[in-house]
Amino acid sequence: MKEKQGERDVILETVVRVMIPFIQLFALYVIIHGAGGPGGGFQGGVVFASAFILYVIAFNLAGGRERFPESANTILSSLGLYIYAGIGLLAIIFSLGAAQYLNYGFIPFTSHFEENRALSMDFVEMGIGITVIAIIASIFFDLAQKDAEEKEEEEEGSKSWSGSSQKSSQNITTGSSSSS
Amino acid sequence: MNGLRAITLILIILLCGLFIYVAEDIPVFGDPNAPPIKSVELLTVKGDQIVSLLDKHIVPENLSEALVKRGFPPPSRVEKIAGIEGEWNAFIAKEEPHYAKEEKYYWIKEEGDRVKVSRYAFVVRWIEKGFEETAVRNMVTYGLADYRGYDTLGEVTVIFTAGVSVILLLRRRSRL
Repeated sequence: MKEKQGERDVILETVVRVMIPFIQLFALYVIIHGAGGPGGGFQGGVVFASAFILYVIAFNLAGGRERFPESANTILSSLGLYIYAGIGLLAIIFSLGAAQYLNYGFIPFTSHFEENRALSMDFVEMGIGITVIAIIASIFFDLAQKDAEEKEEEEEGSKSWSGSSQKSSQNITTGSSSSS
Repeated sequence: MNGLRAITLILIILLCGLFIYVAEDIPVFGDPNAPPIKSVELLTVKGDQIVSLLDKHIVPENLSEALVKRGFPPPSRVEKIAGIEGEWNAFIAKEEPHYAKEEKYYWIKEEGDRVKVSRYAFVVRWIEKGFEETAVRNMVTYGLADYRGYDTLGEVTVIFTAGVSVILLLRRRSRL
């Protein structure tokens, strides 16, 4: 959106370029750290998606879409949910139907029942994080795209309206000239 | 492109089947009348030797009978709460294979010549047994992802549905 007007803010772009990796690293830390301290998939996912929003605000919409393409967005948004549901299904598979769905302890990551639960909880948090990242980014990109399209249409409409008025005035002038 | 669509359709059908299977598999929830407090008062029992029996770590027979008559499991062991006079914890043996063998279940308090029996709410097990059962230090996380896993799966599904509906509403190639 900035490039269209031909203005580029060097300070803003530099600061954003430095900040985005740290925001994403912090978001991944929040997701991974969910088991040991404050954090979790929902919070970390929203923080990660906010990095994309910051990029689009500082640079432009098309560049943001290149960094996070639509195909990857679609796949990731359902992948997280499939990870969550799959972890729950693994509990049934590994216990041969004896355990309930989402009873993490029966998935044999380690030899300890409680450690299995802790590890599965980490994977579940990652699944939640992936889904939240993709969905928040998708909602933001769709809304921004819609807004940009409407602005373009308005500009085109005003241009064509002014053009037609000029034409009509020319017609009038030509008509008047021909009549004279 | 058609192959991708077929794979997507199969995955969606599999997920629907999984959810239907899971809906049949949801464990029974707790007492629907239990308020969100530390304990729920059940009954009062009157008797001469109850206090002396409880002090000797023996479960009185009329107390067990009164609990069984109301549909609660009888306690297997009684222990005095340290530092407080006239209050006891009663434990029951659990049938779950992988967790600790006993659970703190009843809270018995002496009031005059009778004894008041209350049941500990789920909160007590959440706080006291959470780290032993899940090996995770964060109380919020093991509540969110383990004890209430079904709930969180539903929340993620809600977020996914919101995103898909925004795509359906806004991402139109041609205007209507």
